[in-house]
Amino acid sequence: MRAVEDALGIQIPENARLIRNIMEGIQYIQDHVIHFYHLTALDWVDVVSALGADPAQTAALAQSLSNWPLSSEAYFAGVKDRLNTFASSGQLGILANGYWGHPAYKLPPEANLMAVAHYLEALDWQKDVIKIQAIFGAKNPHPQTYLVGGMSCPVDPDSQNAINATQLAEVQRLFAKAKDFVDRVHIPDLLAVAGFYKDWAAIGGGVGNYLSYGDFPTTPSQGSDQPGDLFLPRGIILNKDLSTVHPVDQQQIAESVTRSWYEYSDNTVTKHPWDGETRPNYTGPQPPYDFLETEQKYSWIKAPRYQDTAMEVGPLARMLVAYASGHDRVQHWVNTALGALGVGPEALFSTLGRIAARGLETAVLAEKVTDWVNELTTNLGNGDLRVTNTEKWDPATWPNEALGWGWTEAPRGALGHWVRIENGAIANYQCIVPSTWNASPRDGEGIPGPYEAALVDGTPVADPEQPLEILRVIHSFDPCMACAVHVTDPERNEITRIQIV
Amino acid sequence: MAKIAIDPITRIEGHLRIEAQTDGGMVTDAWSSSTMFRGMELVLQDRDPRDAWVFAQRI
Repeated sequence: MRAVEDALGIQIPENARLIRNIMEGIQYIQDHVIHFYHLTALDWVDVVSALGADPAQTAALAQSLSNWPLSSEAYFAGVKDRLNTFASSGQLGILANGYWGHPAYKLPPEANLMAVAHYLEALDWQKDVIKIQAIFGAKNPHPQTYLVGGMSCPVDPDSQNAINATQLAEVQRLFAKAKDFVDRVHIPDLLAVAGFYKDWAAIGGGVGNYLSYGDFPTTPSQGSDQPGDLFLPRGIILNKDLSTVHPVDQQQIAESVTRSWYEYSDNTVTKHPWDGETRPNYTGPQPPYDFLETEQKYSWIKAPRYQDTAMEVGPLARMLVAYASGHDRVQHWVNTALGALGVGPEALFSTLGRIAARGLETAVLAEKVTDWVNELTTNLGNGDLRVTNTEKWDPATWPNEALGWGWTEAPRGALGHWVRIENGAIANYQCIVPSTWNASPRDGEGIPGPYEAALVDGTPVADPEQPLEILRVIHSFDPCMACAVHVTDPERNEITRIQIV
Repeated sequence: MAKIAIDPITRIEGHLRIEAQTDGGMVTDAWSSSTMFRGMELVLQDRDPRDAWVFAQRI
């Protein structure tokens, strides 16, 4: 959308800027909390150990961390009973396949029980707060009201057929609920768990170069290279050096396919995305196979590089760029966490730092987004109901050829689209998504991608049959790749496979 | 020395394979592989640019 708006020189109305920030803000908060509890916590929290916890001591622990109202002995006893019921009937469900009892699990049973209780609470919480996406976007995921030129959701405080005063009040209520859980459950849990795993502040760092496109414009954008003031700033940190934030130039990005299952028509080594090609050329082994031919091509992901350098993207990159740029609230939250754990900024360049940065970013956003809801409410009160700029909606107003690029910071990191428009149609479109940067294979120079570099940066494997430590490093990046839906029958035989793009 | 492959990595979104060389209880080399072709760029070819976001959003 921003790529097309950039190509066609379209500026969106202020209300559209605010609504996009609000929708993106709640998506960050929901995504990050889900990642912490449901995607990565079980790498650190032993569910079976929680069965041995004392509910009274668990309540004492939880009450020492925050005044969350559910933290009573009776509540934790109830959670333990539920867990026991599942476990004794052999039905741990989605919790069945963990590496429980692995020596790398360090939490006492009470901390494990507290975390399992909050894992379950977060399931309920996330489905409620994400309704903000549905209020503005009609549904979640994949909200439907974006539009080249702005948004297509009408806003009018006095209309029953628009985002009105009632719905804005509901949005504020849901944000308050989101922030409360982040402040009183998520952040205390993060710091409490991190305290048991400080050795992971020296494991899984990796490439040490961090890229943030920046996002959440707080002033009007004049195109992709003049995005306005960004709440989370744009910049690059090189070699873990926080003394300098380098500028980002989109011309310096190129993708290599030397080690990826693609070919370029002219056999060039790298291509800028405006000239990018997507020409699949699978040369790997036929399944079933034991190992890939990792000395040759071995992935469906290309290798994006910035000035030939591998870059990590994501919450850690954003927080480091913001921290080094002097961002007041980011410095506050990062320094608070470093102080609570008794570690210095160098601890950020690690598996633990990556997970912590995601939580701290959640706190930063949770206290910011209501400002944008207030701004929107003020605009509506002043009679500004514009959400769309349709001046260039008609293709007759477009040039015959146009090039554009658009950047956002998705929850998982820097996301860029590049488009070439010819005679009203897309002549070329290239996407470099966050996990393309992070999960990148080696490039033409043999330089590893961020996952690969992080895994060889001090990652132990106590038991190759249970590679829990590898999961910790990889999960800390929050991977998102091409995916599919697998439908299985009760005997777990796959019956059909549907690709979702 | 042992080489291990984890495929699929679970509790993520999508299909990721990690191969790792281990020695003395440490990872000494690693390879990250996305095992599924996405191809959204080909889906978008020749379409109306005003529709691009609806498709690209599915990534």
